[in-house]
Amino acid sequence: MGGVLSYFRGLLGSREMRILILGLDGAGKTTILYRLQVGEVVTTIPTIGFNVEQVTYKNLKFQVWDLGGQTSIRPYWRCYYSNTDAIIYVVDSADRDRIGISKDELLYMLREEELAGAILVVLANKQDMDGCMTVAEVHHALGLENLKNRTFQIFKTSATKGEGLDQAMDWLSNTLQSRK
Amino acid sequence: MYTLMHGFYKYMTQKDDYCVVILGLDNAGKTTYLEAAKTTFTRNYKGLNPSKITTTVGLNIGTIDVQGVRLNFWDLGGQQELQSLWDKYYQESHGVIYVIDSNDRERMEESKTIFDDQERTAVRECLCSSWPTNRDLPDVMGVREIKPVFQQAGALIGRRDCLTIPVSALHGEGVDEGIKWLVEAIKRHAVVRPPREND
Repeated sequence: MGGVLSYFRGLLGSREMRILILGLDGAGKTTILYRLQVGEVVTTIPTIGFNVEQVTYKNLKFQVWDLGGQTSIRPYWRCYYSNTDAIIYVVDSADRDRIGISKDELLYMLREEELAGAILVVLANKQDMDGCMTVAEVHHALGLENLKNRTFQIFKTSATKGEGLDQAMDWLSNTLQSRK
Repeated sequence: MYTLMHGFYKYMTQKDDYCVVILGLDNAGKTTYLEAAKTTFTRNYKGLNPSKITTTVGLNIGTIDVQGVRLNFWDLGGQQELQSLWDKYYQESHGVIYVIDSNDRERMEESKTIFDDQERTAVRECLCSSWPTNRDLPDVMGVREIKPVFQQAGALIGRRDCLTIPVSALHGEGVDEGIKWLVEAIKRHAVVRPPREND
């Protein structure tokens, strides 16, 4: 019975997509999560542990996990990797000093077998700050040109102003739907 | 014994793996072309609705099996700031598909300049180019008009095979022909530029 039900639910395309929001601490992951869910900027404190919310975007349901990004808790990201449909990787484009660390974390993460089929969205966040990196600079700094077997897309965003998130979600939902 | 059989099985079933980059100005129709190619050559594949295709900033990949070989497509973003990233892909590419928007007379020169640059740097790496052109709109430049513009790049193309064909990525016309030609050309050059090593 349950199998029949889930078959029909599959036809309707209402399966919940599992999405992880990852990135270094202070990149703006929690702000993005709540921007997506409630559509406004909330005051956040550094996440220790995780936040999980259900986000509905154009008839698609996403289960979005926002994991804490501090150095000491990054090793625990891997506990959440299984069954992930997409990864949203948030980069602080104004933080040129730590982009190297961000790159290492990204490469380390993408080597995981469990994430082999996951779609990658890179958000170059904090585009409202002066002197932030452009998309091409972020692309280069993250070493994304070595990523030749995965569909990915970079978006300029500003979580506090709410710019760019809609395009990113549009692309993500289209790509996830066409993959099914 | 197992290893022997397994190796033999792998040898029998493996396909030569080739890589193709899709380049061109932004909004030329590169992603739409890739979707059209995937729809043409993959059974039961429902392409992305063209109205849902947005500007690519990053990479779209596509894999198709055609005539006994496997083609891996890399569809890159065409915006000016992203063009500097193209050369990272040349080294592993076996072919280039350069998409031109035939309806855009104003940017034809720009497209030509970029094409020259790309040919200059890629000269040792890529062996064949095909230039599908987007032409599903009325009042487009025909192949006859486009060819002379790009003909001046002849010296840069050198000994590479090159084909210009009219294509409508939106309706999938001409996609089939272009890809088949590309596969033939890549196979011809396989001695000089062998398929990608698989581990």
